[in-house]
Amino acid sequence: MSDASVPASAHPAAPGPSIMRLAVHREDVAVGDEIVRHRLLSRVIHWVVALFFMVALLTGMPIYSPVFGWMATLFGGLSVCRWLHAWSGIAFSVASAVMVLHWLSDMKLVPHDLKFNLVQYMQFSAAEDPEIGKYNPGQKLFFWTIPLVTLMVLLSGIPLWWPTKFGSTLRQVCIIVHDVGFIMWFVAIVGHVYLGTAAEPGTFRSMTRGTVTKAWARLHHPKWFRDVTGDRKE
Amino acid sequence: MGAIQGFEIRRSSASLRGSATQLRTLPVVAKYIDTSTCIGCKACEVACQEWNDLPVSQTEQVGTYQTMPSLQASYWNLIQFREVDYQGGVAWLMRKDQCMHCADPGCLAACPAPGAIVQYQNGIVDVDPEKCIGCGLCEPGCPFDVPRYSERTNKMAKCTLCVDRVEVGLEPACVKACPTGCLQFGDKDTLLAYGKHRVTALKEGGFAEAAVYDPPGVGGTSVITVLRHGDHPEWYGLPKDPTVPVAVSLWKRILHPLGFIAMGAALFGTLGHFMTVGPKKPKDTSTTSGGEV
Ligand code: HEM
Ligand code: SF4
Repeated sequence: MSDASVPASAHPAAPGPSIMRLAVHREDVAVGDEIVRHRLLSRVIHWVVALFFMVALLTGMPIYSPVFGWMATLFGGLSVCRWLHAWSGIAFSVASAVMVLHWLSDMKLVPHDLKFNLVQYMQFSAAEDPEIGKYNPGQKLFFWTIPLVTLMVLLSGIPLWWPTKFGSTLRQVCIIVHDVGFIMWFVAIVGHVYLGTAAEPGTFRSMTRGTVTKAWARLHHPKWFRDVTGDRKE
Repeated sequence: MGAIQGFEIRRSSASLRGSATQLRTLPVVAKYIDTSTCIGCKACEVACQEWNDLPVSQTEQVGTYQTMPSLQASYWNLIQFREVDYQGGVAWLMRKDQCMHCADPGCLAACPAPGAIVQYQNGIVDVDPEKCIGCGLCEPGCPFDVPRYSERTNKMAKCTLCVDRVEVGLEPACVKACPTGCLQFGDKDTLLAYGKHRVTALKEGGFAEAAVYDPPGVGGTSVITVLRHGDHPEWYGLPKDPTVPVAVSLWKRILHPLGFIAMGAALFGTLGHFMTVGPKKPKDTSTTSGGEV
């Protein structure tokens, strides 16, 4: 990752194609009015994780409760879910391990992160902390929750997958752990999707096109904005 | 769909309620087992295998007359043999191990597949292999360690109390085969009364603690057992006060409602947030560069 700022294209009216081609390999670079936030690899990893997650979620929920039985229809019935849930869960665990390694260096916690107050942050009224870097402490918290809950759900899922290989008492404990993990996942993902779409406009494109506007960066991640653009005025 | 009388569904796994109108009070059926007159001949084991057309299982020497260590997906009826120190001698105890057909079945509570485990109006707990998804979650739900998941069929299997015989007015195959009359089948109340007589006789015969095993923790069972040593069901391998496992109650009765509350709170919380706080936008929209985000 580089802090270099690429000069605006000679044709500022149509910077699109060039910044998108740049966004294949590089991130944290500004072109014209845009900044590349997630290069292609990051975006692909993210969506692979999200896809496996959604399959695991939608095949797990009808097993959790008949209220969600209709979800099983999407996959061809509950017996398919029983099989697909285990495999998509494994695939998700592997993919999220890759994602955690991929983003590890960006997600290092710094002492300043302790000042973060999620409830206050969600008021969206306080002035943005000028020291917020590429990821705010709430995003880092979400990031670090992933390996924790994944491990919880993966380890408790294995005995439930192989009924003949594990005893009843262990499986009783696993059911409880697996369900607690699922509930944690559900709440975390609803919050994550909300913040990535409706709550913070301009964020979703960072995971599709890969870029954000400078105004977005200045608002949500001031320190990252300064680092990338070299703009010290704000 | 008209079900045979007594076979309306009272309870069904992963469903809110069964199909039974419950307008009529129909008798609950039961199998009566008198361990004091059982001679351990295993005719019931053979009859069960024959009637249910179960594949032959390899026997296993466990040091007693017992056919194999425990029930299997293709072996639903097992006479267990135990020796217990009793009054300076040995009590040689036999018990017929099989599904107890609980009035409050833990397997049914734990099962996530709608209709895979059903309880009929007459008390019989049955499995519908077509709806069973082979997850095996019923096993940790059963306080008697009865249901077995089969890798061969990818289904759960257990004693059905010979529903296919009972439906046409026959007694279960094991009862038919029993040479001593220690197995009986019929209306549960009648058999409980019969059991009481038998217990009185056993008490007179020197077994002061004789009792009928019909554990209230699971609402009673449709397999009732006369025990000489009714104060020590564990001598026979029967749990002393079986209930639906705590983990299953915790999971279905506490964790599930809490989960729904948490899911609802997350969804309505975000909606409420969007309606009151709204999206996060730059304070000063007059900025020349990148006013649109
Ligand atoms: C359809 C559902 C999803 C949407 C719409 C979505 C959207 C987004 C967006 C827009 C970002 C970029 C945030 C930024 O650049 O600041 C992001 C980041 C991220 N996503 Fe997702 N995502 C989804 C599902 C998931 C799932 C299932 C996981 C993992 C279990 C996940 C894990 C992450 C992580 C770790 C980050 C980086 C940290 C963060 O921004 O919080 N996402 N997501
Ligand atoms: S004994 Fe076990 S398998 Fe039979 S009804 Fe009770 S809980 Fe279900």
